[in-house]
Amino acid sequence: MKKISFRTDVLPLKNELFRLALRITLNREDAEDVVQETMIRVWNRRDQWEQIESIEAFCTTICRNLALDKTKRASNQDASLDNEGHDAPDHSYSANPEEQAVQRDRVERVRRLMDLLPEKQRTCMQLRDVEGKSYKEIATVMDISEQQVKVNIFRARQTIKQEYLKQEKYGL
Amino acid sequence: MDYKYIEQLLDRYFEAETTLKEEQILKAFFEQSDEEMPENLRQYKPLFAALEQDETLGDDFDARLLEMTEEKMQVKAHVISLSDRMRPLMRAAAVVAILLTLSTALNQSFKEEKVWADESDYALRYEPTGNEPAMAYDQPGDSVKSDSLYKPTGYLE
Repeated sequence: MKKISFRTDVLPLKNELFRLALRITLNREDAEDVVQETMIRVWNRRDQWEQIESIEAFCTTICRNLALDKTKRASNQDASLDNEGHDAPDHSYSANPEEQAVQRDRVERVRRLMDLLPEKQRTCMQLRDVEGKSYKEIATVMDISEQQVKVNIFRARQTIKQEYLKQEKYGL
Repeated sequence: MDYKYIEQLLDRYFEAETTLKEEQILKAFFEQSDEEMPENLRQYKPLFAALEQDETLGDDFDARLLEMTEEKMQVKAHVISLSDRMRPLMRAAAVVAILLTLSTALNQSFKEEKVWADESDYALRYEPTGNEPAMAYDQPGDSVKSDSLYKPTGYLE
């Protein structure tokens, strides 16, 4: 088995873990704390690295659990959503700045809808649609069946689609 | 352009039936300029754009983490390797010290035993002859004189 190094195998997961923690905690500072804590925990268990099938799944599991703990402890469900850092990459090549702003606003709205999903759906969608993970990997990380992962992803996509189109239709 | 394939993929995407590869195709499709995209597809563009997330942690995070983990470990490892390097020496010294102590102690007790054994042997086999040098020494005057005292007696008999 390949020798695992903190610097080359664990540390580069930071952004992926950060985005997941951010989706769960909805707060940049909390998310950064969670990633730091995750990495320290993983480091402290370095004597077990050789027995771990996927260091990435291992890190993601710890990260999710810590993020959930943090959210539970803060129980800041009513706190305002921290959308700082949610700036959409500009995929609109429209020359019209007004159109660009509208497009950015739409992307922002979709992200807010994602943030409103139940945590399981949100995490499933994050890992699948943003990070491109297989159902199997997500099932391992979340300790649920692949079928449940699929159901969560199905519901998440359906909700986002319906809510977004509803907003567009009625103009929010 | 035929959008049937994309429309099919999109339907399957919302049913959670697409593969990762197909989802990549969808993402790539919705990344392109929306000018030539039919309206029914264009409306989904923000849904896929929202999935392109670029939140990252800076290099200072790496520096901090490395300081807390690997670099701390390197300092620790240095200390360990130093004492590791000393350990065989200390062991050797300890073994030598133990051996020295043991051999001295053994030697000592062996010698003492021998001395005592010899003495007891000697004491058992000892039959006074009257000619022992020690006794001669104990006698007043010098041995020559005492010899001369004995000899005439022999002649007298």
